[in-house]
Amino acid sequence: MLNKKKIAIYSATGCRGCDQTLMDVHYQVDSLTRGADIVFWPYLSGSPLEDLEDQKEVDLCFFSGAIRTEMDRQAAVKLREKSRLMIACGACAAYGGMPALFNLKNIQNRHLSEDLDNTETSDSPAGVKGPALPPLEARVMALSQVVGVDYLVPGCAPRQNFLWAAIQAFIYEGESSKRLSFSAFRLPEKMAQAITSGILPPKGSIFSGDKAVCSSCSRTKEKKQFPGLNRSWEKNPEPGRCLLEQGFFCQGIVTREGCGGLCTAAGLPCRGCFGKTDEIFDPGPKMISAVGSTIDSDDPATLAAMADKFVDLAGTIYRYTLASQCALLG
Amino acid sequence: MNDFEPTILAFLCNWCSYVAADAAGVSRLQQRPNVRIIRVFCSGMVDPGYVVKAFSLGADGVLVAGCHPGDCHYISGNIKALRRSFLLKKFLTELGQEEGRFRLEWIAASEPQRYVKVIDQMVDEVRQLGPNPRNRSPLSA
Repeated sequence: MLNKKKIAIYSATGCRGCDQTLMDVHYQVDSLTRGADIVFWPYLSGSPLEDLEDQKEVDLCFFSGAIRTEMDRQAAVKLREKSRLMIACGACAAYGGMPALFNLKNIQNRHLSEDLDNTETSDSPAGVKGPALPPLEARVMALSQVVGVDYLVPGCAPRQNFLWAAIQAFIYEGESSKRLSFSAFRLPEKMAQAITSGILPPKGSIFSGDKAVCSSCSRTKEKKQFPGLNRSWEKNPEPGRCLLEQGFFCQGIVTREGCGGLCTAAGLPCRGCFGKTDEIFDPGPKMISAVGSTIDSDDPATLAAMADKFVDLAGTIYRYTLASQCALLG
Repeated sequence: MNDFEPTILAFLCNWCSYVAADAAGVSRLQQRPNVRIIRVFCSGMVDPGYVVKAFSLGADGVLVAGCHPGDCHYISGNIKALRRSFLLKKFLTELGQEEGRFRLEWIAASEPQRYVKVIDQMVDEVRQLGPNPRNRSPLSA
């Protein structure tokens, strides 16, 4: 019988969707408890951070959510101290996620005042009784911008099969060939090779594919020109045809695969929750390059009108990645 | 603010704008010395990523110059640059790089005077805007 591993699961600023995904192990919960004990999970048990003091060391920490408040930072530092392996789970922990869109507000405020410390206050209004809220950080950050992170499991929420495969790989670390072959089937090739040979994947590995979402998207590309951009509610996508060609702002071309093209298969343009692929310097200009050069018009007035129509370009492109993958802010 | 000297990165196309810049130098036209020139083969090959990287590394302004529409050595490279420029301008403004820091201009090989005019204008405009916001406050950088 192998030694049981200790797992800590923590959510900083986020929606708790990652905790839900972790709970989504369904019938495998039995095999999970055979190999591991979950020693700290505030989402389920309501335990405060101080409970961690009881643990000398934790083998595995799944940290989800962005670093938005002072408490998030304290939790990240404490968990890093205690944990052997730290895994950024979900788009918020991995890249900053949606909470990081707050950083766009810093830009607007910059014109009003250079002093960014006073942009927002978390003090309770006078006369209101209640728990004191932790002070906010000046900008929202991804976990890796605060402490060292061993692995990233991106996605919003992460794909359950990746997460489960990751859990198995880390819990059994070469001790159970049956479970490892289960993981290897579900993980990207590089990671599968590392795990089946009994060693952990290199630090900083991302649990996703290396190519773009397009490579696993079920839609076909025909013609690379389109008359103008549509928002997803403006038009029903034709089945089977590339969404970008139909004028939807689909970010599959710059985003890591691993999701299997779930959204695009359902007719929803890719929103980029897996982050950029390694080959890309910055997903923003790449998207602009792709969309800009395929617009079917040479007329400056038409092009300007199209650009004007686009609402919140930066917020759309960096919906999940503003904190860590935007070269102009990061 | 007045002693601020902006650094402007200029991507000039090999066939028109670079020749114009060369001619401006050869004809000893007075011009502002704030420009760092990168010769590219066509304005159409200047990926928006180059522009963003220049700003992220601290350039105060970026100029992309190519042949006039219809004169492109590669038929339509400059039109491709034009198509991208509108979304790129909007993108840069949203991320805090004020309007005027990025410019797309058409300068023919026979227009060294126009090259000098564009450079002087742009340097003055960017000097008014001040340093690249990324260099100004580390917190919001």
